[in-house]
Amino acid sequence: MEPYDVNEYGQMKVNDTEQFLKLAKSVQNDERVPVNFSARVMTRVREQHTLETRSADEQFLKFFRNLPWKEHVPYAFEKRIMARIRELLTPDPLTVWSRMLWRAVAPCFGVMILAALFSTKEPTAAFIDQAAYDPDETTTETVDPESTDFETVMLASFDDLEYTW
Amino acid sequence: MQATETATETDIRTDEELVELVVGGEVDCFEELITRYQPRMFGMARKYFRNESDVEEVVQTIFTKTFQKLGSYKGTAPFEHWFMRLSVNTCYDALRRRRNRREHTISDMLFEDESWQERLGNIPSDDDKEGLEQARELVHTVLDQVSDRARIVLTLQELEGRSVKEIAEITGWSESLVKVQAFRARKEMRASVERFLMKEKRL
Repeated sequence: MEPYDVNEYGQMKVNDTEQFLKLAKSVQNDERVPVNFSARVMTRVREQHTLETRSADEQFLKFFRNLPWKEHVPYAFEKRIMARIRELLTPDPLTVWSRMLWRAVAPCFGVMILAALFSTKEPTAAFIDQAAYDPDETTTETVDPESTDFETVMLASFDDLEYTW
Repeated sequence: MQATETATETDIRTDEELVELVVGGEVDCFEELITRYQPRMFGMARKYFRNESDVEEVVQTIFTKTFQKLGSYKGTAPFEHWFMRLSVNTCYDALRRRRNRREHTISDMLFEDESWQERLGNIPSDDDKEGLEQARELVHTVLDQVSDRARIVLTLQELEGRSVKEIAEITGWSESLVKVQAFRARKEMRASVERFLMKEKRL
């Protein structure tokens, strides 16, 4: 005897089918998970992944080692290099000139320092005498006789030009 | 007769003798050194650079640098070692300069017709020039993902089969540093291979 009514073909009657489906839907899903299930799955996944990667990694290295690498040299490559080396050996005038300029930097700097020291040192005896001769001179402006002489010499040619006009 | 004798004499000249002559002012003797080492240099440079123009540039730099520094060669170690050290360092410098010029991505190297691992399984024959070129591209693309140091170590250790001591001599690093670098290099390479696999799986 079957627990539900059946028709002549041995099938459930419509009402019974609906009732059965309703009952089936009402049954709660059993969502319980065995202890450490995810950890167990992950271990398997990791193992699989490592295996795959390692084999690919080793396969790549084997491929890398066995691959032939060509040692073909372009035509007359050594001639090209030699030409370049000879070029390097020939001094470039601009390079030589700039090297000389750079070498001159240190002596010029030394001369500059010496000149600066010389110009800041105590006034000459002649200048002191001149200052003593002119007691009314109280201004702080001091005139270096050497610079005056220098100016006179430099402007001498222009003075001559004035006369020709 | 005399010419033959001179030729034989030139043939048996050692690297060190040639270096001495070049330093002494016989610049033309340097050509002999170039001829002797250029195939190896090209082979080496092609492992680091994929473009032929880059390869030529690097090899040219190596020889020019060698000529300029020849005076600093003391002769205490074989010339070959000194030269190899200089060339590897030049390649390393050039790699660092080209760091931002990666031309191919992983996606470029994934093939529709066969999986990446399948391709790794069979090395193309010498006649299959296109296949060999693609295989080299593949190697370059994987190695482009690792750091320059790792690439140098991987090439010297895995490809050229050099020992830790030899790598230390060539690179100028300590042996312990080479070991650390080799470990890191393998790790980086594994990560690069992994990226390939993941990308392929996603497609």
